Amino acid sequence: MIWLGIAGLALPSPTPGAVPGANIFSSPLLLSVIVWVPVIMAVAIATMPNPRGRFDTLMKQIAFFTNVGLVFVLWIAYNQFESFLNTPQFAENQPWLAAIGASYHLGVDGPGMTMLLLSGLIGIVAVLASLGIRERVRSYFCLLLLTQASINGAIVARDMFVLILFWSAAAVPIALLILGWGGPRRNAATWRLVGYWGLGTGALVIATMALYAATGGTTFDMDVLLKVGNISPRVQVIVGLLIIIAAATRLPLFPFHGWARDLYAEAPIGVTVVVAGTATRLGAYLLLRALVAAEPLAANLLAPLLAALAVLTVGYAAVAALRMVDIRHSAAYLAMIPGGITAFGLAALSPLSIAGAVFSLFAGGLAAALIVGVCATLAERAQSRSLLVLGGLAPRMPILTWLLIIGGLAVLGVPLLATFPADLMTFFGSFKTQPIGAFAVAAGLAVAAVALAMLLRRVLFGVPNPDAPGVSDASLGESWYLGLLAGALLWVGIFPGGPKLPGTDSPIFDPGLTKTMSAGISEMASPYDMPAPTPAPAPGAGQ
Amino acid sequence: MFGAVVTLLLTVLVGWGLAKTKTPFLHAYQYVNMPVAFSGPTAFQSFAVDIVLRVDHLTVAALVAVELCMIGVLGWNQVMGRSEPGPARFHALVSLLLFACVGALVSWDLAELIAFWGLAGAVTYLLLAQRWGSDEAAIRARVALALPFVTDLSLLCGVAWLYSRYGVQNLTSLVPILHTNPGWTVRSLVVASILLFIGVGGRLALWPLHSWLTQTSVTAPPAALALAQAVWSVVAIVVLYRVMPILVASNSQTVRACLYACGVTAIGAPLLALVGNEPRRIVTLLGIGASAVGAAIVIFGFQVPYSTFAVAGVACVLAIAPARAAAVLAASAIAAAMRTDNLAEIGEAWARMRVSAMALLLAGLVLALSSSSALAFAFSTRSRTGLVLAEGLLLISIGALRVFMGVAFGPLRRRRAFEPDRVGEAPPASRSWPYLLVAGGALLWVVMLVPRLGLDFLDGNKHPAPSFAAYALWVAVILIGFAAVAIAYVRNKDGALKASAVAAAWLDRLGAAGSRGFARFIVAPVTEIAIRIGDRWIPAGDAAVGSALEATGRFAVMGARLPVLPIFVALAVVLTLVVGLAAPGVFK
Repeated sequence: MIWLGIAGLALPSPTPGAVPGANIFSSPLLLSVIVWVPVIMAVAIATMPNPRGRFDTLMKQIAFFTNVGLVFVLWIAYNQFESFLNTPQFAENQPWLAAIGASYHLGVDGPGMTMLLLSGLIGIVAVLASLGIRERVRSYFCLLLLTQASINGAIVARDMFVLILFWSAAAVPIALLILGWGGPRRNAATWRLVGYWGLGTGALVIATMALYAATGGTTFDMDVLLKVGNISPRVQVIVGLLIIIAAATRLPLFPFHGWARDLYAEAPIGVTVVVAGTATRLGAYLLLRALVAAEPLAANLLAPLLAALAVLTVGYAAVAALRMVDIRHSAAYLAMIPGGITAFGLAALSPLSIAGAVFSLFAGGLAAALIVGVCATLAERAQSRSLLVLGGLAPRMPILTWLLIIGGLAVLGVPLLATFPADLMTFFGSFKTQPIGAFAVAAGLAVAAVALAMLLRRVLFGVPNPDAPGVSDASLGESWYLGLLAGALLWVGIFPGGPKLPGTDSPIFDPGLTKTMSAGISEMASPYDMPAPTPAPAPGAGQ
Repeated sequence: MFGAVVTLLLTVLVGWGLAKTKTPFLHAYQYVNMPVAFSGPTAFQSFAVDIVLRVDHLTVAALVAVELCMIGVLGWNQVMGRSEPGPARFHALVSLLLFACVGALVSWDLAELIAFWGLAGAVTYLLLAQRWGSDEAAIRARVALALPFVTDLSLLCGVAWLYSRYGVQNLTSLVPILHTNPGWTVRSLVVASILLFIGVGGRLALWPLHSWLTQTSVTAPPAALALAQAVWSVVAIVVLYRVMPILVASNSQTVRACLYACGVTAIGAPLLALVGNEPRRIVTLLGIGASAVGAAIVIFGFQVPYSTFAVAGVACVLAIAPARAAAVLAASAIAAAMRTDNLAEIGEAWARMRVSAMALLLAGLVLALSSSSALAFAFSTRSRTGLVLAEGLLLISIGALRVFMGVAFGPLRRRRAFEPDRVGEAPPASRSWPYLLVAGGALLWVVMLVPRLGLDFLDGNKHPAPSFAAYALWVAVILIGFAAVAIAYVRNKDGALKASAVAAAWLDRLGAAGSRGFARFIVAPVTEIAIRIGDRWIPAGDAAVGSALEATGRFAVMGARLPVLPIFVALAVVLTLVVGLAAPGVFK
């Protein structure tokens, strides 16, 4: 009812006009709805009576329909979003802690809108993947909703203080979810998560304080902190380095990836989907917003370092996946590859590679979530995680087989899937500025193809292992949430520009992700426009 | 099947529309178009990938060849593939492969080409790994994903490299500015050319990138293997023909290197076919060798100024493709009936399976004759390259007749659980399909022989017909090869097969030793380092950091328990000493 009331405040504009800036969706609370409704619903779940678990199903339904509602609101916002505007849209700005200059400032541009769409979709998938939770349902879904709220908050924050709050807040419910519902090694997974993400948060805090001090110590607003031209190069480099550390612990990038394998292996399926799909993408989003868009000098100086980390991530993840004997560990390493490609696109610092990196935020999140989700589901249904035990599952688990194949091919960037245009734009944009890195990433992808081929051979194809426990395919009801991810990968892969009515430019309900995400990218990429190539000397010149 | 037939009819319709005109049909649709910058070179301010559908005479011919192969293979598979698992899956994948191949052939935008090419590659892997329940098939199918993916990545890198230099993906726009775009260098064109050639060469299965076909030749379903070979050879040769202007624009050394690579394959592949006794592997390698001949002709044609015979190489591969498919199907039918993949154990097919054996012979003949006719257009046997390719042709003809002689003649011995008298011809409904394919290949070969009908139609240029003597000379090479095999096998078939088996065993041992060495000295150390990083060093580092933090906490707790005043005094003394020693002039 509360959600319906708040949604009623929304005033959808009539058909979007052709003039940029006209008829922007005029709800003043849209982003706050996206951030705080999950919190309100979490509080509602936490406080509602549930004698002997009678209302467990109702709680799950509340969580599910909260996410459905959020996706509906996001869909309205997506359709009303004005492309080609460089300024944040759906902005909300209220003074908060005036003494230190912190304000409640929210806003979203093209990349932000892309991330919100991803978060909305992943939220639904995570809830559906968690419907099998039977113990302490109230606590679980309360924490899951809080996780989604903190991720959404970090995406839409336009004040660094607010960003830090949401950034650090995401770790708490995730850690509790793993501790409470994780696998046998959940303690180790939790503390490593807390340690690495804590390190990243610390780095982000120091970077923010450095920028705050350098800009006069009056405000934390990103429009001030991240749009400075007169900060000394040394400060920029130090801040840039700290931003990279913060992002690398979240994405993750080698060598700050130590938490990823244990988390993806021990966390419940819904939590792995949320972490792989959106929580980790925040690292690249931070790089985009706080380094690439804000500090061109530092970005140029640190680009080789970031590129090296990205290349090492792709290569290391692929090589490590070759030797794994646990299917969830293999999936964890394969899920790191899209993050490495995203970071590489940002490191290449060309307009096209930055655009490719933004696209890769969305597509890579879907691919990572799909592969970890499928492997976790498959391990659950096959009652074993060991690749030495699993084998020949394809004839007996056709649904999960196809989902795993799609997930694996999505990680590799095969055409028809959303990761293909993303990787295409990343490669096309990076060969000019980082040719060696681009070749190295391609080599890493080749090794990843070998790792994937081995994984598919061992798990899906071949003769079934007679000593393996009994297996059963996931029913449609249990696997359709993974199908949502696969469907989204296929949809965006086939229609990145949105399907149009034949013969016209009018979109069929989907304005197109590439059109939406382009808002703001040109401004971010403008300091990195490639210079005009110098003309080749005329033959005989200089003689 | 219905889809393939409809596509063929549509292709014929388009071809009929193109028959009277030289201007290709061209239509473009927008796939991606996004602005990425407001300044800088205009070409890089937006990124657009268009679905450019360009259909010219060459495209029509290639489409006909592909669709013919699909129809023939699917028709054969409807009868002979009944025992294969996953029929619905197979047909869905074949339809997707047809879609992707058609897309690749009509693509004129390089990014669009990459998309269809990659899709076709993924589908090909799934087809070759179709037998999900077979361990052997699964093990061998790994290379069908990994190796072509590497070459496909090479193609992607080549296209990306070109885009990064020129900002253009459309071939019509790219080729004219290869030498006029500001900042172009020979080096960048060489890099792009090598990457493009590796990408195309991988799908042509040029040595040493051929194992994705040979490794799966026994374990993949015959229909899938036939399609993979036939269809990819057509797509790859057409793409090679289209990107040749880029290779030529680099430098002559690069083009020569590509030519040498094709020459090495033209000899090496049929030579490898002489080693080993698996009939499907043999016909696969023969097809690879013949396609390499066609590729060499294409490259040489562009290398020689003012020549027009490059398209003869394409025509050669178009004629070879159905013959390759037919050879695979016929060999598969014989191997399935004889319940073995060893030529030493196969025999009497001429008596018991004459139709299939004849199809195999005719397919080999079309393979050899197509190559010889194309060579007659391009090479003199006195030139160095001509000699090399003549040797390749000789080996192809030897291999073609060898596999026929091996299956057709010689005793069919009784084996455990195998009764020779039970061997019979393939079901009647399946017998005609290999002949249809052979006939299609033969028709394309005959059309190639008459320039006015064939080569002139393909590229719109006038092609002088080679002299009869030139034809005869190249055919004589084939006849020499046939004679050599006939003599060897008539005199001592078992001895010849035994020699092949021994050579194959040595080759396998060499290959296994190489694989073991690669695994031991490269793969194992690298993966061991990765495992140690993930399983030991990082956890050790985490533990050290954790211990340090814990120690800090313990000190803090200890400090909280100690009495305050003595600590305060001690700290004051220590600080005084430190400041006194550090600050200048305090203790002086």
